[in-house]
Parts: sequence; C-alpha cells; structure tokens
Amino acid sequence: MNRKYVFASVIAFVLLALVPVFTHNPYYIHLVETIMIYAILLFGLDIVVGYTGQVSLGHAGLFGIGAYTAGVLFLKLGAPFWVIVPASIAVTAVFGALLALPALRVSGPYLAMVTMAFGTIIQILINEMTFLTEGPMGLKIPKPTVAGYKFDEQSFYWVVTALLALSLLVVHRVLRSQLGRAFEALRGSPVASDCMGVSVYKYKVYAFVISAGFAGLAGCLYAYSEQYISPNTYNNELTVMFLLAVIMGGRKTRMGSMLGATIIVLLPKLLDDLEMFRMVASVLAVLMLIGAIIGIARKMTTVQTMAVPVVGTAALAMFAFWLESITDWRLSIFGLMILFVVYYLQDGIVGFVRSLLSHRSRGAQMSHVAHAVDSSADPIIRAAKNGGDDVLVAKEVLMQFGGLKAINQVDLRIKRGTIHGLIGPNGSGKSTMMNVLTGIYVPTAGSIEFEGRSVVGRTSSDIALSGIARTFQNVQLFGEMTALQNVQVGLHHTFHSNFVDVALNTSRYAQEDKSATARAEGLLAFVGLADLAEEQARNLPYGKQRLLEIARALALDPQLLLLDEPAAGLTAPDIKELVSIIRKIRDHGITVILIEHHMDMVMSICDTVSVLDFGQKIAEGQPADVQANEKVIEAYLGGTAT
Amino acid sequence: MEILLQLIYSGIALGMIYAVIAFGYQLTFATSDTLNFGQGEALMLGALVGLTLVDTLGVNYWLALPVVGLFGLLQGALVERIGVRPAIKIKSEFGWIMSTIALGIIFKNVAENIWGRDDLKFPSPLPEAPMKVLGANVLPMELLVIAGALVMMLAVEFFNRKTIYGKAVVATFNDRDAAKLMGINTGLVITFSYALSSLTASFAGVLIAPLTLTGATMGAVLGLKAFAVAIIGGLTSGMGIIVGGIILGVAETTTGFYISTGYKDVPGLVLLLLVLAVKPAGLFGKSAIKKV
Repeated sequence: MNRKYVFASVIAFVLLALVPVFTHNPYYIHLVETIMIYAILLFGLDIVVGYTGQVSLGHAGLFGIGAYTAGVLFLKLGAPFWVIVPASIAVTAVFGALLALPALRVSGPYLAMVTMAFGTIIQILINEMTFLTEGPMGLKIPKPTVAGYKFDEQSFYWVVTALLALSLLVVHRVLRSQLGRAFEALRGSPVASDCMGVSVYKYKVYAFVISAGFAGLAGCLYAYSEQYISPNTYNNELTVMFLLAVIMGGRKTRMGSMLGATIIVLLPKLLDDLEMFRMVASVLAVLMLIGAIIGIARKMTTVQTMAVPVVGTAALAMFAFWLESITDWRLSIFGLMILFVVYYLQDGIVGFVRSLLSHRSRGAQMSHVAHAVDSSADPIIRAAKNGGDDVLVAKEVLMQFGGLKAINQVDLRIKRGTIHGLIGPNGSGKSTMMNVLTGIYVPTAGSIEFEGRSVVGRTSSDIALSGIARTFQNVQLFGEMTALQNVQVGLHHTFHSNFVDVALNTSRYAQEDKSATARAEGLLAFVGLADLAEEQARNLPYGKQRLLEIARALALDPQLLLLDEPAAGLTAPDIKELVSIIRKIRDHGITVILIEHHMDMVMSICDTVSVLDFGQKIAEGQPADVQANEKVIEAYLGGTAT
Repeated sequence: MEILLQLIYSGIALGMIYAVIAFGYQLTFATSDTLNFGQGEALMLGALVGLTLVDTLGVNYWLALPVVGLFGLLQGALVERIGVRPAIKIKSEFGWIMSTIALGIIFKNVAENIWGRDDLKFPSPLPEAPMKVLGANVLPMELLVIAGALVMMLAVEFFNRKTIYGKAVVATFNDRDAAKLMGINTGLVITFSYALSSLTASFAGVLIAPLTLTGATMGAVLGLKAFAVAIIGGLTSGMGIIVGGIILGVAETTTGFYISTGYKDVPGLVLLLLVLAVKPAGLFGKSAIKKV
C-alpha cells in the first residue's frame, strides 16, 4: 500500500466518521450507515465476482442468514453484541461453504442459477421456520448494549464505520496476499492453477467462505441498524441489486464497491421523487447527446454506435415526463440501468475513470520498474536426490477416449537428471501423455509412478505439489496478472500462513511474502524477464509468455519439469537462449521432459529420445540412434514399410 | 392411496410444464451456450396475453394458442437481439446473464403495470369436472397439459431432425464455427432458437394458466424450477427433462400435501443441489472431456 493511498483512506474515514457531528438528522445518518453496511457485503461479493470471476446470485440469502443469526440469537438466547457479531460471521461462512460445495462443481450460468436456487431456499426457510424466525411477521432487535452502555443511532454509526474500516483493511490484505493471487489465478486459467498446486476447487470454496463471512457481518449490522428484519427483504431483486452494484462501481476495486453501495442505496430514494427523476433523465439525455455530437465530430465514434444510447436516454427522458407515478415503474428503470451498465459501463465507474486518466498519462507509468535483484541467491532450488535412478516410471499406459486410443500401451522410464525428449508427428499422443502425467486425464489403464508413488487418480494440484511442474502447448498464463504475480502463484506452496496471518499481517506472513517476492524476481531474471515484471502477462509477446511459463513452473521447485513445445513461435536467437535455460535447469538436478518439433534442438540437448506415433512408442534411445531409426523416418516422412 | 394417485397425476401435469420450459433452456443452450434467465417471464407473458385474448377479446381458447405462440416467437427474438447478442459480441463474461435477468425484471414490471398485481383466474377451455382414472380424480385440463407438452416437444424435435432449417440448428449446435463456414447464418439460428424457446415457454404458460392462477409473479419460481429440471435431467438429454420434470412435479405435489405448501418449492431445489454435488452432468447427460 503506498502512502498516498493510506493517507486518502484515513481522510475519507475521518470525514465519514464526522457525518453525525455535522448533521443530527437521523434519516441521513441511517442512510450513510446503510451504504456502509452494503459496502461491507460488496467487498465480499467482489472477491467472488471480481476476483474468482464467478457469478453469485445467492448473496442476498447469505445477507439474510447473517441478519437472522443476529435476530434469532438475540431473541432466543439474549446473546450480547460481542457474541452475536462473530457468530453471525461464522454461521454465514458455514452456509457459504454449504453453498459452495455443490455449486462450485459447475461454473458460469449453472453457478448463477444454483446460487439463485440457494437464495430462494433460504428465503423459503426463513419464511417457514416460524418456531425460529417468527416467519413473515419478522423479528425486532434493539440497538446493542455493551457493558451497560446502550448504543444509539449515532454511536452505532461509529461502530459500523469502524467495522467498515476493519473490513477494508482485511479485504485489502487478503487480496494482495497469496490468497488473493490464488483467487485471481483460478479465474485466469483454472487448468494452470491446478497444475501450479493451487487447487481450483479448494480456493473457490475458500473465496465463497470468506465472501459469505463478510455478508454475514453485513447482515448482522443490518439487523441492528434497521432494528426490524423480515424475510421479504432478502429476495432475488436484492441479490441482482448487489451484483449490479459490484459491476457498476467497478470490479476488483474497493472504491468501486463503496460507489456501488452508494448508488444502490440512493437509487430507490432518487426514484421516489418524480421531479428529481425527470431532471436527472433530462440532464442525462442532454449530456449523452452532447457527448455523441462531440464524439462524432472528432471521429472517435460513429453515428451507428451512438444512436442506441442517444435514442435510449431521450426515450427515458420522455418516459419520465409521461409518467404520473414513478413507484410502479421503479423495477423497469432498474432493469434498464442494468442493461446500460452491461453494455456501456462494463468496467464500472472506477474502470471508466481509470481508462480516461490512463489515456493521458500512459508512458509516465511504465518506467518505474527496476528491481534490484539479489544476484547472489540462486532462485532455483536444487532438486534433492531422493530415491532411485528413475524419477518417473510409466507402465503400459492406456488412454482411451471412446473408441480412440490416444495412448496405447506406452512405457516410459525417465532417468534422474536427464533431458528426455518426447517427439512424434502431430496427433501422436505427446500432449495427451503430459495431461496423463499431470493428472488432467486419468489413464484408462496402466500405472505411473513418480518418485516411487503412484500418480494415477490423484488430483492435478496434488501431483503438482509432489514435484511435477509443466508448461502448456497453448499458453495458459493468468492474463490479467503481472508477470511477477504469475510466478508468485507458482510459489504459492511456499506459504504456510493462513487467513488469520494474512489479516493480521503477522511476521510469519510478512517473512514468507518477502522471500517469495525476492525469489519470484530472481526467477524472472533467470529467464530474462526482469524488466517486464510489472507488465500484465497478456500484454507480453508470445515468446516471452512461453519463458514466463517456464519461470512459473520452476517456482514450484519441481523434481520433474514437463515442457510442452517451449520453442513454438520463438525466433532463432530466442531458441538459443531457451536451450541454455533448459541446460541450466538440468544442471540444477531437475529432470526435464521436452516435447518439441524443432529437431535440431531436440537432438542437441536431449539425453534420451522417445518417439510416439498413433499413440504407440515406436522408438527410444540416444538421439543419433533414433534419428537413424527406419520406423521414425517412416512416421515422419511417410512411405511404405518394406 | 387414492389421494396419492391423484397427487401423482397432478405432479405429472406440473412436471410436463417444467419439462417444456426446460426444453426451452436446452434449445438456446445448444445453439449459443447461453440461456434466458427470464424464461419464467416469457411463460408469464404468454399466459397473460392468452388471458387478454380469451377473457377480454373473447377469442376461442384454441384460436388464441397460435396467436400466443406468435407473440412468444417475437418476444424471444427480442430478448436475443437486445439481451444476448450484444453481450456475446462484447465478450462480456456474464453480461448475458445480467441482461436477460434485467429484461426479465422489466417484463415483470411492465406486466404488473398492464395486468395489475393481483392473480387472475384463467377460464378453463375444458369442463372442470374431474374424471376418474384408475380410481383417482384427474382434471381434463391436466390431460391436455400432458398431451400439449408432449406434442410441443415432439414438433420441435421433428422440425430439427427432418427439415433443412432444423438441420442448420443442429449443425450450429454441433460446431458453431464450422456451421458458419458452411454458410449457415449462425446469428439467425441463435435468434431463432431464442424465438422457439420463448414460443414453447409461452405455450406452456397458456397450458398451465387454467390450472393455476395467472399473474405477473407466476413466472420466476417456475423458471427457476424448470432450470432445476434441466440440470437434473441433463442439459443435453430430451428424455432426461421429461423424467426430471415428472420427478420434480410429483415431489412437489406430495410435499405440498403431506408436509406443508410453504415447503413445496424446497425438494426440487434441494434435489438440484444434490444432483450437482453428485453428478454435475445430470442424470442423463454425458460429461464432456475438457481439452487443454
């Protein structure tokens, strides 16, 4: 966190805390309080939506669970405030896990519907379990009393402010830690996350649990703030509203969550006042028209693209004047807003403003990267020599897709500390072999032993953690993350600190973070990407992306490194550099399996070469022998067997 | 026993409605990997338009059916054009989820303003006196629902398998890019699949309306439970949704009777979560192999 940012946040919170001093109107105090409560929930929702990229329509339900935990604990047990707050968080987090376990086996539209179903079930349960929740009647809960002091509207406001500040701090710390990187990684490329030892399933559940915890806190505070809760508040419209707030404010920013909260709290108030709405709609239409005219005049945009929004806002303004009562049409206007945000404000208000600003100041930002890399420390950990001569032994591996045998009874014996080439024409089963070795496919038959332990049936992330790292034929980087962060994801296994360490910023976490950053920088330097550490991976040229994948794979401290066509798309000088990198990797005792089509490269660096054709191993041996093998020549060049 | 049988009958009728809506999900999911989160609202609009035709304008129920169908076609095409196509074009990850939800909200709100917030009674086109089948009462309307739903699904299947336009739909389903290269206007096919999907939904609306009450809020829960059916049965299996629909429908009517009507929506949704936890591809679906 840089100092300017901290300073601005502190000022903002002081101003926020001073609101009740300036206005004694309880209506406004309550309004700001609600905004802050929603903001806490949105911090959590953003972890799921913004970082892991999953749509959750169940957060209104989680919010309700938080509120009702507070309500029920107070009503039935008369529990004090300091018990109720952690209890609400814990109970909601448990429900978050319950939701996540089935839901996260699916993604995208499935997940959206499932979370929606979850929300609906919660609402029904709250309604029906009258013995606990009083059903549709709702619950009353007074402002809390702590140590004999009874909070009033004003002092409770400060409690909420403090908890918002605390939430902000925790969310901020979590998201910049290895946990946040894991969340972002599984959005960028689930397969690669698994192969970096970051279990997609586990971290999705983790993200949901943390997110639910915040929803629980928000729900609990909401119950105290409103002093009355009823089941109908926590419906699907609220959930859509939350989602709108996150997207409209701007994903992956705390500022966006707070903006979004402000908008969804103030919006209904705004829509209650017809005069105000007419004014806003007219101003919006005029602004849109002016913007369109300027845009078209400067040739920044075309008449066609601007036609829809201009006509749309104009129609909205006319609609506003035609209306006699606005309350009936509130939901329609809300729906139109969602459409507008989805089409024209995808990155949210914060993203929009940022892109405006960065348009002007690009170039000024790019030059600050000059990390001092401690060259004395070797970033690559020498692979330990434990076990026998063979790192990996595969016997009679069969991989069948329907009737197709992609790999047919292949034996592989990989000697420790060698570079083992795996070649063959396209479609011969090389990449399938990689996928079988790393647990992405489970072989139909056969055995694979790595360091004396079977890998068959284990998950990709488990296999990765036991020491097999890989790169991908079609690059699988975490696009929106920087090069440095990509490597740091690979170093995930070096972290032992948990959520609590991260939230409290303990010395254990700080220590681990520091050494991981240093090692990541070292690894980038090793593959020659030190200058590009702060660049987003998706912006790197193709050849550099391949090198970055190697650095990321090395971060796993592997015994065995699988390189799937690392030289594809590289220029001749780049290939030379790559060859020396691979040699250096081998010199660290790391065994390498290399799939490659550049024969001169394969022949020059491999100690042993295996040749696959149509899923079968047709030759194996020293590069020179394989090159002379008739079967191999035939497989590559065709011809009839004689 | 008689009561149970009766519950099963109405469960089957209800289940067939779910199956028809789920069928609509399958149609759009097959061609575009997207589905209309406002499918329930399409059903609701179908029912209400049907109500206006029959009740206010005095059109015969059977003559109203094709008109409602036409309305459904247009409504579905509209949803695709405003809600789905632009979102796919800008490659927004879940833009289409948000925009179809938004359109659903708008449709519901508009319906509330046109037809009011109260539930309305839809006059039954068939006699309302129950018939005896195997000793239990069945409403003639329930039989019509079952028959109508089956005919509807068979008609669309026939269209897809036997006509050249249907083959374009199937081709788009199998491989969108290849279909495009073969000169099929895949954009049009997707629009058409949405139109067809809303057609089936609005048809289901007119079928179910005489059995239940009609109102702006009738769609949301139906749409959600039909999704549960689509998942339970598998998004690619025609047989699956019929079986899934019947399971859900019967579970619901029996829960409603033996436990409490308040809980009647719960078993379906719990079943949905269970199926996803155990077999995400659905009871009848095939799990896809992920490619790296």
